[in-house]
Amino acid sequence: MVRLAHADVVQLLMQLGIMLIAGRALAEAARKFGQPAVIGEIIAGVLLGPTILGMIEPAWFESLFPTQGGAGIVLSGIVQVSVVMLLFIAGLEVDLHIVWQQGKQAIATSFMGLIIPFAFGFVFPYFFPEFFGIANNQDRIVFALFMGTAMAISALPVIVRILMDLNMFKSRMGMLVVASAMVDDVIGWMIFSVILGMIGKGSNMPLWNTILLTAGFTAFMLTIGRGMLNRVLPWVNKKMAWPGGVLSLSLALCFLAAAFTEYIGIHAIFGAFIMGVALGDSEHFSERAKEIVHQFINNIFAPLFFVSIGLRVNFITNFDLILTLIIIFIAFAGKIAGAGLGTRLGGFSWKESLAAGFGMNARGAMEIILGLIALENGLINEKVFVSLVIMALVTSMTSGPLMKWSLSRNWTK
Amino acid sequence: MKIRKIGLALAFSPRMEAMMAEATRLLHAYQAQLLLVHVGKETPEAKNQLQTLLAKSQLELSQVKILWKEGDPADCILSACKEEQVDLLIAGALKKEQFMKYYLGTIARKILRKANCSVLMLIDPSVERKGFQQIVANAEDSAYVEDALAAACDIGMKENAQWLHIVREVKLLGLTMSALDDCSEEEHNQLRNGLMRTEIENVEKILTKIPHAGLKVNIKLLSGKSGYELSQFAQRKRADLLVVGASPRKFWFFDRVFTHDLEYIFQDLPCNLLVIHPGHRKEALHG
Repeated sequence: MVRLAHADVVQLLMQLGIMLIAGRALAEAARKFGQPAVIGEIIAGVLLGPTILGMIEPAWFESLFPTQGGAGIVLSGIVQVSVVMLLFIAGLEVDLHIVWQQGKQAIATSFMGLIIPFAFGFVFPYFFPEFFGIANNQDRIVFALFMGTAMAISALPVIVRILMDLNMFKSRMGMLVVASAMVDDVIGWMIFSVILGMIGKGSNMPLWNTILLTAGFTAFMLTIGRGMLNRVLPWVNKKMAWPGGVLSLSLALCFLAAAFTEYIGIHAIFGAFIMGVALGDSEHFSERAKEIVHQFINNIFAPLFFVSIGLRVNFITNFDLILTLIIIFIAFAGKIAGAGLGTRLGGFSWKESLAAGFGMNARGAMEIILGLIALENGLINEKVFVSLVIMALVTSMTSGPLMKWSLSRNWTK
Repeated sequence: MKIRKIGLALAFSPRMEAMMAEATRLLHAYQAQLLLVHVGKETPEAKNQLQTLLAKSQLELSQVKILWKEGDPADCILSACKEEQVDLLIAGALKKEQFMKYYLGTIARKILRKANCSVLMLIDPSVERKGFQQIVANAEDSAYVEDALAAACDIGMKENAQWLHIVREVKLLGLTMSALDDCSEEEHNQLRNGLMRTEIENVEKILTKIPHAGLKVNIKLLSGKSGYELSQFAQRKRADLLVVGASPRKFWFFDRVFTHDLEYIFQDLPCNLLVIHPGHRKEALHG
């Protein structure tokens, strides 16, 4: 095994410590203003990264976060593992139980909530590729597909938080919105896997092959895989130490599934996500176990990932106001129209449907992960990435107040 | 719970006498009429067996109607119940079905999934009166939650039950997802307690509309997969009756592959099961 040099070890540990402290400090500040922790963590990265520290004291930034050397490579590996784990807990949060409870209504609502934002996201980049920095005509379709997916995806934790704040989580509407967001996310990540397969990083598979593998892996994991987990978990719960046994096993399965999907040519994140869905759906994977996995990943690896965003990109030089505004507009219009219409078809009033549209408009952390993978794979440039991050933050910050406003407002003249 | 007509799916099995005894007890308790449905040919031997059974049960012939049907057993029983406007159908089930049967379907399963009236599925019928001492009722939000709780309270009072455990699901997953990163320990505890309090209040609100004087009621909150946790709880409490509201929609293949709610209970009956479906009475009320 290759070992890091003494200086690299010191540097790596310093990086991790500073990132966690800065992330926590600004997450606490965000909390004081009633905002999610992720906002503070991204701001921490912006402060530590090329945008602020790199501009004020370039030498400090270079010595703390060098692009060359062992520490940088290991940090990049840790961040990559963090993304895989974040997708794993995103999968754990998908409760298929709620989706089946809602039945066909959830499918209909989620379909509208997916198809309309997807169409909005697809059409603009497809017809105006130059505006989004796409010069190559061949890339146009892949980029448009990506933007469609980016607009369709939602941030389940933000939606749940808003619904709980409004005491609507367990209401009929709350459950429908949550179930629809879950379906949208599963389909969204499947489409994204196919898109990543289309750009062929790491594999040269034909498109149909990628689609077949993605659908096949999903179907296998949610039926036979889930059945196997249902047989193994009671044994693990009974015979192994708790929570050590279930924690080790769940993360091991997450990494193995991620390695498998990466190996067969669909991105690692997809394997982690689907493993999370399958594991979370097992009645033997307790809520307490979910809570522990959640705490472990969300408080250690999530801050590292979100702080690292600001370390990679200069948010000032890559900020394009018009592009950001257009992306925010597409995000709002597509999701509010789609999810709103879907909820209306589910039998709710226009007022409630509009509120559901606002609620499902939150993109949160998932959008940022999606954007970062697209950036790493050369699917988008840094300007589009910055705009996507800002859109994710704006939609997450506004969806709660807008939902409250639409529900409290008297719409009759 | 108003029961005017009780249906009994009768097969000439070793448990026939016990099933009849259970039905007779309910018949007397609710002053109802009995509809006996037998799927099979109306042969002289079968008629004789039935006569003997009725004589043993000491039932007046005016209280009993007998229907002989031929065809798919579940379909015949269900159509007879619909035609005769049965309020409660009593059927027997084996406690645990074989793996293959689970996928091929059984009469009991089909009845539970498709019945348009309430169904009492007995796993261990007895000639001697055992009664229902530990009753568990599901108070999860559904179309028939009030009917299910009313039935559970009614049976509990009639049977002088030791305990009525009312179970409601609390979604702690929501709390985990939304509050863990953004709350201090105190705020988290407050949120958790608030969530619990709200759910208990929701059950108490329903109970105010239902007579349950003298009945010992225990409200229990469970988190996890609702049907599975309910089944586990009934087993832990050694319940002898589990009362649930019927699903407002009919289950199909996907519901069996991706098990949820009542499917968990159907998969492995923890005890006798009463599925409340107001059926034709509710439909008549709502026009």
